[in-house]
Amino acid sequence: MPPSELLLQAVAELSARSGHVFHISPEPVPGTSLFVVHTENHEYRPEYTITSGPLGFRVPFNLPTAAPEDSFFIAAVDAKLRVPDPVRNSADLNRVGRAEGHVSGSRLGNASVLVFSWHLWNTVPWDRRKHTLFDHYTHSIRRFERAEHD
Amino acid sequence: MHSQSVSLITSRLGDETHIAADADTWREVCTKLTAAAPDEACCFLLTRPSRGITRTTVILREIIWPKPGDVQATPGSLELSADYISRAIDAAIDAGAMVGLCLVHTHPKSEKFGEGIARFSSRDDWYENRLFPTITLDRPGAISASVVIGSAGDVDARIWWRERGECVTQDVQAIRAVGPELTIIETPSSPWKDHPDPAVMDRSTRLWGGEGRRRLQNLRIGIAGAGGTGSLTIFGLATMGVGKLLVWDKDIAKKQNRHRTAGITSDQIGKPKVTAMKVMAESVATAEPFIIEVYEDWATTAEALTRLKDCDLIFCCIDNFAARVPLNDLAYAHLIPTIDMASWVHADRNQQIDALMTHAHVWSPGIPCAWCRETISSHILMREAQGTQRGIEDRIPYGLPLEETDGVEPSVLPLNMLGVSLALIEFMQVALKITTRTPNDLKFFLPEWELDESDRPARQACDCILNVAMGDTLVINPVMME
Repeated sequence: MPPSELLLQAVAELSARSGHVFHISPEPVPGTSLFVVHTENHEYRPEYTITSGPLGFRVPFNLPTAAPEDSFFIAAVDAKLRVPDPVRNSADLNRVGRAEGHVSGSRLGNASVLVFSWHLWNTVPWDRRKHTLFDHYTHSIRRFERAEHD
Repeated sequence: MHSQSVSLITSRLGDETHIAADADTWREVCTKLTAAAPDEACCFLLTRPSRGITRTTVILREIIWPKPGDVQATPGSLELSADYISRAIDAAIDAGAMVGLCLVHTHPKSEKFGEGIARFSSRDDWYENRLFPTITLDRPGAISASVVIGSAGDVDARIWWRERGECVTQDVQAIRAVGPELTIIETPSSPWKDHPDPAVMDRSTRLWGGEGRRRLQNLRIGIAGAGGTGSLTIFGLATMGVGKLLVWDKDIAKKQNRHRTAGITSDQIGKPKVTAMKVMAESVATAEPFIIEVYEDWATTAEALTRLKDCDLIFCCIDNFAARVPLNDLAYAHLIPTIDMASWVHADRNQQIDALMTHAHVWSPGIPCAWCRETISSHILMREAQGTQRGIEDRIPYGLPLEETDGVEPSVLPLNMLGVSLALIEFMQVALKITTRTPNDLKFFLPEWELDESDRPARQACDCILNVAMGDTLVINPVMME
């Protein structure tokens, strides 16, 4: 099942508005109806030991009727904080988990990724008639501005 | 001076033609126009097309009432001012290329003419043959219409459109007024026939009368899905005397379906489910004639969504949320009442049932839709799309294992039967008006052991209010399922 014309348009619009070239996987991730949307070289948080690389998220085949998955990923599984977070006393990134097979079928192949649980659409529910992938993207990268122990 | 007969140029847009309006709009038009009796009265409405495979429906939406002085009326005549006609045409043009106009007028009872008969007079022919070439000029995407209402509430109607440079017309067979209930008013061109042997339906006819029996015999009902609930729905409708069924399902009958699906006999294993449904339905059908068309495909493809516009009523018997989105839209935009049903069982790790639900929900103007009821939401659709990775965002940050599941919940015949029974009771109300009110959504659930009706109101500015009667001007995206 290739991505719909609507989905391709949404990704094109995201690229145009974000200034980053986003790609969409040709098929859904096996076992799901989610396509991987990612850009190859996006800046991360400067406090990370890896400061740039792939960044993306997964979107249902029926976006925008269905909301995007409530998370995003970076393909930098070894990334840590340069200075440990004093509250958690840890150099691990907060609320982040390593996932295998998360981006299968995309240009990233079977690379492991770090998934950020962000719950960005909990307080402001996704509105299929109003929100776009660009809104999802801006919500996602706001994670890089928050304290690591939020 | 206007009584000379004219020959209208007739053509065909489809085997069947209907006019449809949401019930409130139709009631308002009828009430206000008939109140002018013994004078005739009229108004324009904006129209939108709803093009199926065999049926073309012209949907009425916004009413454009005449202003004082716009219409000169007597018990036997109407004169419309040029200003009123221009205002109506401008409104149609402003509303989009597919928007046309319908002229509705009355033939009231009067001392001079007696009962008002709902037939277009030669004067009507003469007048409309001058009016509609102007209304349809340079508007090839729009279909217009005219309706005459008699003093007994009877109707006649026809549609008008532009074809190869000429304004042509076709008779309309029925007007559907659609709200919580479905009212079908036959015109003199109606092809409906009564059951040839009504005595065989005596016990049912005692509930819904001869008119109800005639309606069942002639309704065309679409059934999306022929699984646990769909098969029982097909069995029920065929047994009750519905004359025309259209069924969609792409699945092949498996031995695992037999314990909860009606009609899948051992010799049907390996064949399309819809083939088994056709055999079963034809063996129990009581309508005469009985026609069942089956389609080995999903009901949400572009072709199926077009064919569903031929239906008077739809049963949504599918087991996923994504496919409910276009069917929900279709119900409101194309004025086709749809009865959605679903059963759901959740068992804990010890295989003890901790939650169980079955419900039947009418989607039709005046009743909150699946989005209002939260049967579907953007979040639910996203979770469904996650498939075997459902809930990953909740588990992975905490290092919890991603529990693999095939996403298939338990399903049992009694629960499906209960859901279908609720749906068929709602069907009797929507199609046959067995009582005074259509329930919104009937739900049975555990652990409460309760049968309840949802009292959720429609959400503000929901599509089930904004998109009512939008017809083909609303884009409905097909859903292609694996």
